[in-house]
Amino acid sequence: MKMFVVYSVTGRLRYIGHLDLMRAMQRALRRSGLPVRYSQGYNPHILLSLAAPLPVGMEGLREVMEVPFEGSVSESEFVARLNAALPPLIRCLGARAVDDSHPAPMALLGAAVYRVEPQESAGQLFEALPAMLSRDSLPALKKSKRGMVEVDLRPLIYNAFVRDGSLKALLALAEAGTCKPELFMKALSEQAGLEAPAPFRCVREALYTASFAPLEEA
Amino acid sequence: MEERQLAAIDRLLEAVEKPARYIGGEINTAIKPRVKETAAFAFCFPDSYEVAMSHLGMKLLYYIINREPDMLCERVIMPWVDMADGLRREGVPLFSLETRTALRDFDIVGFTLQYEMSFTNILEMLDLGGVPPLSSRRAEEDPIVLVGGPCAFNPEPIAPFIDCFLLGDGETAVVEMTRLIKSMRLAGRPRREILEALCGIEGCYVPSLYEAQYREDGRLSAFRPLSAAAPATVRKRLEPDLDALPYPDEIPVPYTEIVHDRVALEVMRGCTRGCRFCQAGILYRPVRERSPENLLRLAEKLIAATGYEEMSLSSLSTGDYGHLVELVSGLMERFVKSRVSLSLPSMRVDSDVKEALSQVSEVRKSGLTLAPEAATQRLRDVINKGITEQDISRSVSDAFENGWSSVKLYFMNSLPTETDVDLQAFGDICRLIIDRFRQTPREKRGKGLSISLSSSTFVPKPFTPFQWDAQDDMDTIRRKHALLRETLRIKGVSFSWNDAELSRMEACVSRGDRRLAQVILRAWQLGCRMDGWREHFRYDLWMQAFEECGLDPDFYASRERDRDELMPWDFIDCGVTKAYLWRERERALRGETTPDCRGGCEGCGLKRFPGACALA
Ligand code: SF4
Repeated sequence: MKMFVVYSVTGRLRYIGHLDLMRAMQRALRRSGLPVRYSQGYNPHILLSLAAPLPVGMEGLREVMEVPFEGSVSESEFVARLNAALPPLIRCLGARAVDDSHPAPMALLGAAVYRVEPQESAGQLFEALPAMLSRDSLPALKKSKRGMVEVDLRPLIYNAFVRDGSLKALLALAEAGTCKPELFMKALSEQAGLEAPAPFRCVREALYTASFAPLEEA
Repeated sequence: MEERQLAAIDRLLEAVEKPARYIGGEINTAIKPRVKETAAFAFCFPDSYEVAMSHLGMKLLYYIINREPDMLCERVIMPWVDMADGLRREGVPLFSLETRTALRDFDIVGFTLQYEMSFTNILEMLDLGGVPPLSSRRAEEDPIVLVGGPCAFNPEPIAPFIDCFLLGDGETAVVEMTRLIKSMRLAGRPRREILEALCGIEGCYVPSLYEAQYREDGRLSAFRPLSAAAPATVRKRLEPDLDALPYPDEIPVPYTEIVHDRVALEVMRGCTRGCRFCQAGILYRPVRERSPENLLRLAEKLIAATGYEEMSLSSLSTGDYGHLVELVSGLMERFVKSRVSLSLPSMRVDSDVKEALSQVSEVRKSGLTLAPEAATQRLRDVINKGITEQDISRSVSDAFENGWSSVKLYFMNSLPTETDVDLQAFGDICRLIIDRFRQTPREKRGKGLSISLSSSTFVPKPFTPFQWDAQDDMDTIRRKHALLRETLRIKGVSFSWNDAELSRMEACVSRGDRRLAQVILRAWQLGCRMDGWREHFRYDLWMQAFEECGLDPDFYASRERDRDELMPWDFIDCGVTKAYLWRERERALRGETTPDCRGGCEGCGLKRFPGACALA
């Protein structure tokens, strides 16, 4: 069996990198004494896998990982013991046992909801949003392994609106295509006629499948 | 800290290279409530987070201070240059990782000194933290600045910056010092009185209560206390029984990757092998072991509290630990199931030990590391490094038979009495290793032998038999590096060496006197910091600082001292006598070795410390 685990990373811990978070999870699982499965070989490690790297500087409120385990442990016990071992700024919010044959969260991932708070020119940006969304295409330059390539962002922006003084954006986050919040904000800044992309804070609020079901329930 | 400054910290964290260095919040770190009566201790490490958090001593004292109900300890670590500049630009004082408290708002600022070339970082940290770098400029309410660690044994080059040094073991002394300082501060006693009172604690040296006088040629002529409270000789603090000392059963676990990211278990302190270049071997005498029962108990607790996947046994020569087999098998037994791997330094051990250790290599395979230090038997005898060609040959053959194929070799160049013959012999050792590899049956050995040989330029250190010796001058060092490059053009061998200029500065600072403090201060003012990092070391600025202060680097680095010269550190009794060190030097020059004193006391002087040396 494996556990689909929902967790949050908040506050100062938004500054740790993806590998740091993996290590922190590994060590917390070790401290918890939960019956997790290890890899074979000289340096055995716990076979956990996170749905998507959380960029340095971004908080994640409903992140998902899978943790293979053996023996029997209830979902609630898993959550309680993991929380007891985690640092206070990483919290385990839920766990769901699935079969080993269940696809990995990484494979199911399709989109994420972000809360974006512009630090400058918020009004102008908010006003420009409908115009941007009404366009058929949004060409943008994106870094790839082969240098800068042009992509169309428009199909990767599923939805975006203003609420309570910040932007909510449902953006593609998948193997097949991803729109990072930076690219979204760059396009929006251009639309608003700003000279440079507006600085912003960003929180990843939740992860979804390609059919917009919450990833942890998929 | 003000709201504005906290906001600025967040802005900086968005911009700096590795923000995780500055966030704190690691598991097993302590945030204790601060009340007026609590002694607030800022434990300062003058190097990067990755180095600081790899250091066992820091975790040890952090734990020891925090377990006292009337004390709290928070960490303050040298920020990387991008953060340091950012803090200055934004007007934010250097802060503690735990609560973002400014350095100046602690009662005590305590540095541990592991490396001479981190001295400018002390000035940088004090200045960034709002504490005047010169102790004479500190006001009554400013923190008391303490220093400990091996580099404190030549305190003079940083004497004007430090209120009080602690020489020797810190475990009980740091608590005594902290309690004394806090109670006197609460009672409103003036700084000067607090410093005089500190002189009463064994191991404490208060530099402002001493004066140094010099001859016209720059040599020290007199060194004496200015106050009746200050002892003429400062005896190092010695903890005879390690099992009686507190040892952390939980240590902070960093998020970001650090240099030594594992549980380190200090199995013993001290070393009796008597390598003549080694300062630690003298300073940490006598040998004191922890009991295996105690270590096994600590190991289990530490693994449970940290979740670390790796543990190492730490000491100057772990192979000499008396209960190694018992300890290693005990650890293996406990950790096979929890999949913790044990890493051991390469070491010379008896065959029954080897048997026990063979299980270890199953858990973790790595290359072989050897430190012959010198390449000819003659020179190894001079430095008393008891390793022979047969030892090297046997170690590498064993390793190759076990499927290893990489060897790391550590040597020194510019050792006393060294000639070109000794340097050319580096090549002979490499060829010997290559031979052994070829003689190992193909099906046993790994593929593709790689030898990486590194040579560091010898730096004469205080409290060693070579404390009187001159370091090679720069031209000689450069010539020797060139000769080694030539000699080591051998297929499969890679050669690296230390920057000659950095080695020369190390030699200046490690045997410096009080006047050298001006140079360090000036170098820092000119922009020197993070000197131990190649990309930040500015030899030109150091030279300019020497020039401006009217001091000659050769006087410190490349001058041979007379037998009777008064050394700046002579007022410290580290346990080993100057007479013993001189005798060792004479033996060295005659090429005579001194056996390990576990086979019989060699009269180094530690017997004078009652009950200290179990061997004597
Ligand atoms: S007193 Fe004797 S036995 Fe003890 S460390 Fe010194 S030489 Fe060795």
